[in-house]
Amino acid sequence: MAREGSHLLSTDLELVKRARAGDSSAFHVLVDRHAGFLFALAYSLCGNVADAEDMVQEAFSGAFRGLGAFEGRASVKTWLARILVRQVARHFRSARRRKAGFVPIEEAADTQASAASPHAAADARIDVTAAIRSLGPEHQEVIVLRELQGLSYEEIAEVLDIPRGTVESRLFRARRALQERLKEYVNS
Amino acid sequence: MTECNEAERLSAYHDGALSEPSRIALEEHLKGCPTCAAELARLARLSQLIQSTSRPEMPPQALGRFHRAIDLQPRITAMHVAEVFTAVAASILVFSSVCLWKMSTARADTAQIPVWETVAVAPQDPSGVAAQEQLARWIVQDLSGKNGHD
Repeated sequence: MAREGSHLLSTDLELVKRARAGDSSAFHVLVDRHAGFLFALAYSLCGNVADAEDMVQEAFSGAFRGLGAFEGRASVKTWLARILVRQVARHFRSARRRKAGFVPIEEAADTQASAASPHAAADARIDVTAAIRSLGPEHQEVIVLRELQGLSYEEIAEVLDIPRGTVESRLFRARRALQERLKEYVNS
Repeated sequence: MTECNEAERLSAYHDGALSEPSRIALEEHLKGCPTCAAELARLARLSQLIQSTSRPEMPPQALGRFHRAIDLQPRITAMHVAEVFTAVAASILVFSSVCLWKMSTARADTAQIPVWETVAVAPQDPSGVAAQEQLARWIVQDLSGKNGHD
């Protein structure tokens, strides 16, 4: 957008400060910078383009309303990711109340396809996606943030507001669960 | 699968998240532990599998939607907060002025009540004689204008 031209060289932190001072165009630059990352994260967590769009929109709106609460201890990227992950968690809590939450573990176990089939690569992608979705929210979050978004342990700790050691142990357990569900691919 | 005591640290090693001394110690261990070496290979295959999953690009219209949502948000800025404080202060000032004006009006109304009317509704002493005399005296004084009333 042309109105944000003067902000393009600013750091995220400078943009947050300007947005807090009333310059909403600075926040629009943050939207341009981080929308792709947040959309990929939201999609990886919920598996649906429309829901992912809704959640990213809510996350940006929430961040804009909560600009005053940003303390600058974490990076703007991890602050936005934290808002989004909470948004997704809220979405799934209400979805579970409507009996439509995460894919049950049994369902994921049934999705294991043979790695030797003609469509093995496509089957594997489908099965891996189903296996990730079958994890509990805590394990799904760390796997997505680490494996798909490439965040460091420190960044994941900031996003999820948990100690670094907890990130390490959750990742270990989440990978163990995925290995078990995807053993036909992993052990080959 | 026989579990090795080092298995838990392999996940962090795979991510390059171990401290330097821990990394060196684990690499020494890996040289003599085929179970952990196999587990490390499985972790690498799992990461490849996960990263091979396809993820759609963000729809082109989504960005515009995010921007419009921000434009619709109320602007919570320092200027906005100052405006709110000014409005609250002005409201308090108006309210206080109205209260003060009402109080002064009520005081003026009280001053116009003749003294004998006030005394007439005051509690009487048990005998009643002295009070009646006092009341009669006040009525006479009021009627003759000695108490300064019309």
